[in-house]
Amino acid sequence: MAFRKRNVALARPPAESPASETPSSPASNPIATAPAPGTRPSPIDGRPTTSTGTPSLDSILAGHAGLSLGNSLLIGESGTTDYAGALLRFYAAEGVVQGHKVHVVGMGEVWGRELPGIAEEKDKRKEGKERAEKMKIAWRYEGLGAHGSSRERGSPFPSTGDAAADEAAVFCHTFDLARRLTLPVGSAIDYVPIPRTSSSPFTEILRTLQKHIARSPPDSIHRLVIPSLLSPALYPPTASHPAVILPFLHGLRALLRKYSTRLTAIMTLPLTLYPRSSGVVRWMEILSDGVFELSPFPYSHHESLATSAGTTKDEERPQGMFAVHKLPVFHERGGGGSTEGLGEELAFTLSRRKFVVAKFSLPPLEGDTEAQEAAVREASGNAMPRKEDLEF
Amino acid sequence: MPPNSRIPPLLQPFVRTPKNDSLLLLTSTLDASANWLLTRFLCDALGSGAKDDDNGGPKNVVLVSWMRDYEGRLAFVDGLSELFLPIEHDDGVAQQRPQNLPTTPTGMPATRGPQTLPVRGPPGRTAPTTAQASPRTPTTPPGLFTLSSTSLDHINDTISTAIASLRPSTAATKTLVILDNPDILLATDPNLTPSKQTSLFLSLHTQKSVSHVLVHLQSDLALLATPEKPSPLQIAQQNLVVKTAHMSTKVLGVRLLDTGVARDVSGVLRVTVNRDSWADIATVRDQEDGGAVQAPEEKGIEVLYKVNGDGSVKVFERGTGGTA
Repeated sequence: MAFRKRNVALARPPAESPASETPSSPASNPIATAPAPGTRPSPIDGRPTTSTGTPSLDSILAGHAGLSLGNSLLIGESGTTDYAGALLRFYAAEGVVQGHKVHVVGMGEVWGRELPGIAEEKDKRKEGKERAEKMKIAWRYEGLGAHGSSRERGSPFPSTGDAAADEAAVFCHTFDLARRLTLPVGSAIDYVPIPRTSSSPFTEILRTLQKHIARSPPDSIHRLVIPSLLSPALYPPTASHPAVILPFLHGLRALLRKYSTRLTAIMTLPLTLYPRSSGVVRWMEILSDGVFELSPFPYSHHESLATSAGTTKDEERPQGMFAVHKLPVFHERGGGGSTEGLGEELAFTLSRRKFVVAKFSLPPLEGDTEAQEAAVREASGNAMPRKEDLEF
Repeated sequence: MPPNSRIPPLLQPFVRTPKNDSLLLLTSTLDASANWLLTRFLCDALGSGAKDDDNGGPKNVVLVSWMRDYEGRLAFVDGLSELFLPIEHDDGVAQQRPQNLPTTPTGMPATRGPQTLPVRGPPGRTAPTTAQASPRTPTTPPGLFTLSSTSLDHINDTISTAIASLRPSTAATKTLVILDNPDILLATDPNLTPSKQTSLFLSLHTQKSVSHVLVHLQSDLALLATPEKPSPLQIAQQNLVVKTAHMSTKVLGVRLLDTGVARDVSGVLRVTVNRDSWADIATVRDQEDGGAVQAPEEKGIEVLYKVNGDGSVKVFERGTGGTA
């Protein structure tokens, strides 16, 4: 006689022991250890992933709900704005909070001091609302959201002073760009300088990185941050030569594969100086695992006025388009343009405490009263019937 | 499970290596990667057992990759790990290895392979999905060779050693050599020329035991199209791709849909058969059946494909809506 009710799906044990989620047979994996803080297994295939510090970017990464370890992202940005830099700061701050080792190439300590701090706990209500909004915007990723949020909601939102166990439960923190992160003593960030040599500066950088990683404890997680790669303000002019930059990225790819459970990297590239149509940039993109492009909208007063009527009030105006050209892991399998997010028109919005990537839709035109009415009706939850519906 | 269930039937004739010895070219772009197709070639070459005697049964495979790391099961020449990464000499490297592994002379832990598999590769092998060291061969992987320089002589020697290491199985077994992204060499080393590289392909092909050489190159528009002021990089890449395409008996091109991204189509696969190939160089033997060209694999074809999240592939003709 069965003790279990029939026709009832087996429930997952509510205790969220991460090891039990890993869909691996015990035979092949006799010692299932708990993942390092700030990592969790991907809901798709169980590979360890870590957060980029930006929830909506995590959800775009091919369904892994995070950046899988051993992969790199290249974020190109055109124009003079620094939205990509905000993404990098979130990424670095998340690493610091999780106790990962963060390596920053070419930036001084000032950069590290300006990392955003964790958003305060007191406005929990607002935070919850924000999360609800996030769920609404990213409704396509609802399944993925559920994967992460079950754990996030289950644990109290910790402040920096909480116990390490609580910290580990949170995969992605919310940061506030207006606050400053207090760095833990013991140098959480390792600043890798760009050597002023006549030959390739990158050989030295790679060597330094490799030494650091090899000497660190084997269970430490590393994050590599490379802001404005090849920017003439930081790098010597010879750095953009294919024979200099491409070996670096190739070597970095080898390093990422070598430490495929410990290292991730995000770099940004000024696309105005190095357009995507050039051969070097294309090779750089091929050598990276994920490629995104930010194209900010030009700012204009007229446009900010035009939004007054049609759009819903609590929806923020997107600040630019977010294009996905390549996704880590997914493209290794040869996919292209078929997962959610890829090929969609995505737009990003940066506000004080979040960087949101959402599906792009234009607000109705100012003169288009019908569409405006429709938008208002939609916003008010269909409470107001149309005029035609009332007249017989 | 039949050994070829991962290869869609429509694709079957095209991933099978041709009867005659030949040079094949596979091109891909950034958005449309050809990894799925490469693994199907591997599948077919490694697992085609006794299902037909047309192409001489299973082959020895030497995979030379400049983009990926070791996967096991075949002779693998690693052009990623040590090509540009300075080799660390102090003992820090040895410490971080899994304890049950002796240090490998090639300087590479043997247990990382399965985690970064492009797809689940040849049938019968399941990809462990965790970061844990799987208790596989505790010795040096037998077929792993590592490239440490961009010099073509060194590459030729290493690949020849890899080919030779596979010889003892049976004398009649042919070898398929897959070169995955050799064009990165051209991009990183200004001293290389496209003609030197194509002669490397050909000299590999003229080795006795090698029957087929499959070359995978990038054919992104940004790497090929020559605007008013092309960079040396673009000229070299275009030169290499065009040269190789002319020498190849079959060109398989993977690209995105021309009309933009679609939800149910990943991209387009175009197969072009070069009937009047450079017979003397590309195909060493005579083409006996030059007249009968109606076999499906002898005609060109353009099909759509869709790679699913789990790595399975659907291949269908235009307009059939992917229900096939």
